[in-house]
Amino acid sequence: MLDIGSFQARTCDGVSRRSFLKLGASVPLGLGLTGGLAQASQGSRAKSVIFVFLWGAPSHLDTCDPKPNAPVEYRGPFGVIPTRTPGVHFTEMLPRIASRSHRYSLIRTHATTAPGHPDGGTVALTGFAEVPTPVQPNFGSIVAKARGNQGTLPPFFSITSGMLADASRRIEGYGGGTLSQAHDPFLVGCSAGGEVKLSALQLLDQLNPLRVQDRRQLLALLDTAARRADQHQQLAWTRNMQSGYDLLLNPAARQAFDMTRETPETRARYGYTTFGQSSLLARRLVEAGVPYVQLNYSRHPEAINPGFELGWDTHVYNFELLQDQHCPTLDRAFSALLDDLYDRGLIDDTLVVMMGEFGRTPRITPNASRDHWPPCYFSIWAGGGVQPGRVIGTSDKLGESPLGDVVSPLMVGTTIAHLAGIDTQARAEMNVLANGKVIDALL
Amino acid sequence: MRSSKYAPVADAASVSVGAFATDANAGSVGHGASIALALCCLMLGATTATAAEPQQLTRDGRQKSSPVFRDGGKELVYAEFTDAALFQLRRLVLADGTNELLHAKSTSAEFEPAWSADGERYVFCKLRGVLSIGMTVCDRQGAVLNEILPGGGFCGYRSPALSPDHSRLIFSYAERGTQQIYSSQLNGEDRKALAESTGLNNWPSYSPDGRSIVFGSSRDGNFEIYRMQPDGSDVRRLTDHPLQDIRPRFSPDGQRIAFTSHRDGNAEIYVMNGDGSNLQRITQNEGRDDYAEWHPDGKRLVVVSEIEGKHDLYLVGLPD
Repeated sequence: MLDIGSFQARTCDGVSRRSFLKLGASVPLGLGLTGGLAQASQGSRAKSVIFVFLWGAPSHLDTCDPKPNAPVEYRGPFGVIPTRTPGVHFTEMLPRIASRSHRYSLIRTHATTAPGHPDGGTVALTGFAEVPTPVQPNFGSIVAKARGNQGTLPPFFSITSGMLADASRRIEGYGGGTLSQAHDPFLVGCSAGGEVKLSALQLLDQLNPLRVQDRRQLLALLDTAARRADQHQQLAWTRNMQSGYDLLLNPAARQAFDMTRETPETRARYGYTTFGQSSLLARRLVEAGVPYVQLNYSRHPEAINPGFELGWDTHVYNFELLQDQHCPTLDRAFSALLDDLYDRGLIDDTLVVMMGEFGRTPRITPNASRDHWPPCYFSIWAGGGVQPGRVIGTSDKLGESPLGDVVSPLMVGTTIAHLAGIDTQARAEMNVLANGKVIDALL
Repeated sequence: MRSSKYAPVADAASVSVGAFATDANAGSVGHGASIALALCCLMLGATTATAAEPQQLTRDGRQKSSPVFRDGGKELVYAEFTDAALFQLRRLVLADGTNELLHAKSTSAEFEPAWSADGERYVFCKLRGVLSIGMTVCDRQGAVLNEILPGGGFCGYRSPALSPDHSRLIFSYAERGTQQIYSSQLNGEDRKALAESTGLNNWPSYSPDGRSIVFGSSRDGNFEIYRMQPDGSDVRRLTDHPLQDIRPRFSPDGQRIAFTSHRDGNAEIYVMNGDGSNLQRITQNEGRDDYAEWHPDGKRLVVVSEIEGKHDLYLVGLPD
């Protein structure tokens, strides 16, 4: 069943100003490959990438790097359970993910520089700080530019109910950066019930995808709307609309968003949570050929804030929020995603990376919780050329610092690009990920 | 399988409409029956005696927590995610399935409701700002009696409960690196820490006669169940397992305690005697079973169960 709720304009006068702005902000502009980049994507292991972004930053000690022998003021109240990898333990909060450790590799020696959410988020998503400007491109934008438009769907999706932002501002590293807005992500939202919302296409009351049968009808509707717009808006309209309406007019593309095409069993495996159904949508997008999907756990980092989605920023009640909300949701959805990719034979061609922007304080805070901790955190890597079942690096006995070589966000982006077939030359052509090194231990 | 007596109005709480709306919230009798059957069959394997058939009380599948009975078991109040950014208290009338917001005008997140035994007062947590949680005490009709605000910065209260005679309030509060159980008057004054310890203490709940408080604590390493006198004395540990035991609740006769445990691999509901003996596993579900609360008849528990990926309230009978 399809419904039209998200396609209703916000005013009775046809297209709303906000709809124009949304289109400009969320539809990539230009498309297509140039020069040696066309060859750069040849022979890649990862045809698609799913970057699972746990914004707000989960505690590494309370999830994938527990320290059960640390003093009480560090270790936290959770028990530990064995993973399928000998000698490796997670906390009891992630039993499903722990039981699938043979399907991914774990890095426990990440460190970053930025201590706050928007700036830390930018570093996590681009490999570079927001300052000095210009902001560097999101890893997804790099893949999108290298791959270009290969099908009917945009090459870079970000699954979110809106632009990622904390209480103060957005993440600057959300999109194209130095590669231009042409390589921004296409934003798509997904509710706990599986309703998919394409904010870029929230334009007209009449713009029901079931009714729009051909381009001529659609353009007639758009012309009507465009006549109501001022010159500036019209320019943006003309420039931006092509990608969005190609998507809207193409039945195959639309099917990628129709979650009712999944069996009830499949949908149940992911769980009827916002993140659960969003994870299923990510798999559908990959299956439809989308090169890069940024799967965001939440739009906002804050764990509990009026009007905000619940993120991983647990300055208070870290342990309650993890056990009541975040870990059960993540455990079900991420394990289902891995299983689904394996079961469908997609995992060899799909790189999955899951991480936050930093860790959380190993020492429990005065609020009996955990604050930001950039010096040490974890990530999980699966598929797309990654050797599974490995644990790369070790943190110290308190989880405060990596022992040995540190893995930086720039290395994360460089490894993603490498596995996506974007080699050193191609990266140089784009002038991105300068001096980045591949995480060889994953390969 | 699903008693019409307990069948809520279909989709009474459903609000989602989207471009690609699905059948996730629609539910169907057949689907519900299979859920109840699955839970029933699983439970039979967990107990030697025949348990009453579970009854599915909600069908919207949205995430829920902290159900509590009121008015002698005629109604349930629980917290539910209205959407990804808001959780609200809902009231479910068991007789006719009426399901509505408890506080229709509230726009701030509300959760963890608790009633006094006489039904004259209730308390709940309310989000006051960024990472800031207060408590609100109301009378039977919902009129606000006390707003207990958190301090400055990131802080707040959790898991409030009322003494049976609604003379005292107990709750969990974090400061100085630990999280303690406190007792106070209903206006927040005369605050006293109970059975202070290292680690975290949470989920306090009075026995029906008001002579004991049961709670969870990590004072000995990980979360276990303890009980104490209302003044914090005579702390006794009731469980001992390397995986967590949390959210204890006294039965209406005060003889048994229901709680959530991870001891068998995921969150399941257990019942034990008040001294920790005679442990019985009540649920056995691949998904999460949590937030057990006793029905006033003492023979059933309401539980939030995640079945087929959906979170709903189930009324689960206990073995004879």
